Amino acid sequence: MNRAFWYFLSLQLFKERSKHLTIIVISILLIFILSSVLFISSSIRFSLEQTLKPQPDFVISRLQGGVNRSTPIEWSDELFDIYGVTKVTPRVYGRYFFRPKGKSFLIMGIDAFEEESHKSLEKLIDSIDIKAFLTGNNMIVGEGVKEYLQKNFYNNSYKFLTPKGKFIDIKIAKIVPKETRLLSNDMIIMPIDLAREVLGYTQDEVTDIAFNVPNPDEWSNIEDKLLSLHYDLGVVDKNEVKKSYETLYNYKSGFFLIIFLILIMTFSLILYQRYNMVYSTEKREIGLLRALGWSINDVLRLKFMESFILIVTSYIIGIFIAYIFVYIYNAPLLKNIFLGGQNLQNSVSFIPIIDIATLSSIFLLYAVPFIIAVIVPVWRVSVTNPKEAML
Amino acid sequence: MIRVENLSKSFYHQQDESKILIDINLHIKRGECIILKGISGSGKTTLLSIIAGLDRPSKGKVLIDDEPISKLPDIFASKIRAKKIGMIFQHFNLFENLSVYENVTVPLIPSGLPLDDIYRAVDKSLKVANIYHKRSLVASRLSGGEKQRCAIARALVADPDIIVCDEPTANLDSQNSILFIETIKELHLMGKTIVIATHDPLFENLNFKSRIVPMFDGKIDE
Repeated sequence: MNRAFWYFLSLQLFKERSKHLTIIVISILLIFILSSVLFISSSIRFSLEQTLKPQPDFVISRLQGGVNRSTPIEWSDELFDIYGVTKVTPRVYGRYFFRPKGKSFLIMGIDAFEEESHKSLEKLIDSIDIKAFLTGNNMIVGEGVKEYLQKNFYNNSYKFLTPKGKFIDIKIAKIVPKETRLLSNDMIIMPIDLAREVLGYTQDEVTDIAFNVPNPDEWSNIEDKLLSLHYDLGVVDKNEVKKSYETLYNYKSGFFLIIFLILIMTFSLILYQRYNMVYSTEKREIGLLRALGWSINDVLRLKFMESFILIVTSYIIGIFIAYIFVYIYNAPLLKNIFLGGQNLQNSVSFIPIIDIATLSSIFLLYAVPFIIAVIVPVWRVSVTNPKEAML
Repeated sequence: MIRVENLSKSFYHQQDESKILIDINLHIKRGECIILKGISGSGKTTLLSIIAGLDRPSKGKVLIDDEPISKLPDIFASKIRAKKIGMIFQHFNLFENLSVYENVTVPLIPSGLPLDDIYRAVDKSLKVANIYHKRSLVASRLSGGEKQRCAIARALVADPDIIVCDEPTANLDSQNSILFIETIKELHLMGKTIVIATHDPLFENLNFKSRIVPMFDGKIDE
């Protein structure tokens, strides 16, 4: 393709600018919708991975009648006896209801003698003095909790009401970083004894017991061994947790993807129809080009490049607008569809994640149907005799 | 230069065959000016289209400089069309949204020539066709005569040996028709081989060397 070809291509694009601008505007809109959805789901997936990475491989708890009951702490000693099991951590957590508004917080207890929990917490939050945190009536809260408490004038501390009817005043020591906000939004982390008191557990009870199995090949064996220990023992592994979150968000992005595919198919059909009936003038022009010595390949190359430029222009602008919409303005409207239905208002900031796979999928999902819709009818006109096409 | 051998063209509608050209044989020498003359429906435009490679015969062949244009695959046939044949159509067939200048560049775009060479060729042919002064006007704003001159410039831009004209004066007034004939005369003097399909009586008494090939009912009527 020499300069003359580009010269003629630019002429074509410019002379029919109103037609091309309409196509570009519709394309930008479609690419913007698709990329916004894919950007949001990539960002959510990244946040999930970040949050789930330090989580334990397995969690066991007592299940009776399909309902979680408090788990005896002595089960953790049985876990220590199983070869391949490491980092056994009894955990205390549960929902605390903020009665006046019917909202709830997720309280997580941290064991003062549990080194692993300290490391995880240190990883999660920079500049925290674990010892000082665990010795006082302190808590670390998620962004959603902080905002909600502040809205209700609890700026520095909150008085929790225990099941025994006693009030405990707990100070806000830190805020969980926003990268983990997807899961930590309504979370409160506090020393394990405080958590027991607030949630009404006795000293020999925990909510569940977490542990790791470093060899992934052993996961299913360990799971079988655990289930044979107690008839009422329930076990969940990290992959199941990840899958359940992914299913939820994939369902939502899949829903949008289907809408997008319907839209792009409709648009492609319109384009196909348009080029197929090919306006008599356009058909005549193709015939004329052929009559003036253009080969079928020359005509197809011209129309392909014309479509390609329209697609690339729309693609770049669409992606750019979607980036600003999702990562700078935090995807208003769309965010509520993805994160809506949560307990506390979650003003998640989407972490900018743009990978080649996402960008290529957006391009292919749009470019392929578009080019086919244009090129097939043009090819059909090109292969007819120029005389017939010019009629 | 151009040889038409045993050429027939039929159209089929369901089972019915409609014969447009029947066993045409014609030899046009280099530098000749041929007038294909006949009433509407005599097959002269179809013959012209097949000679120009815009249509394919049902039987027989057309050879241009011994190359069977009617049998060649598109990629070769279009190269011959681009290099050797300049077309002037009855309805001018210009790109209405392009300027005169841009219209004339079109045949040279796929030639692979550098853009500067294309511009030089366009300037030259616009001057020959006497439309250079209107080069920046959009085709849709030209008069009939000006469109015709633009079409002539476009037909000449690749410096083809053969100029093929289909009813070139059908949409022109008598003054422009005479001007067109003058231009054809100039092209003839330049050594171009010219084939014109027309039923305009103005072409019957051309004052330059020409041959009239009468056509009737799809046959050469000699």
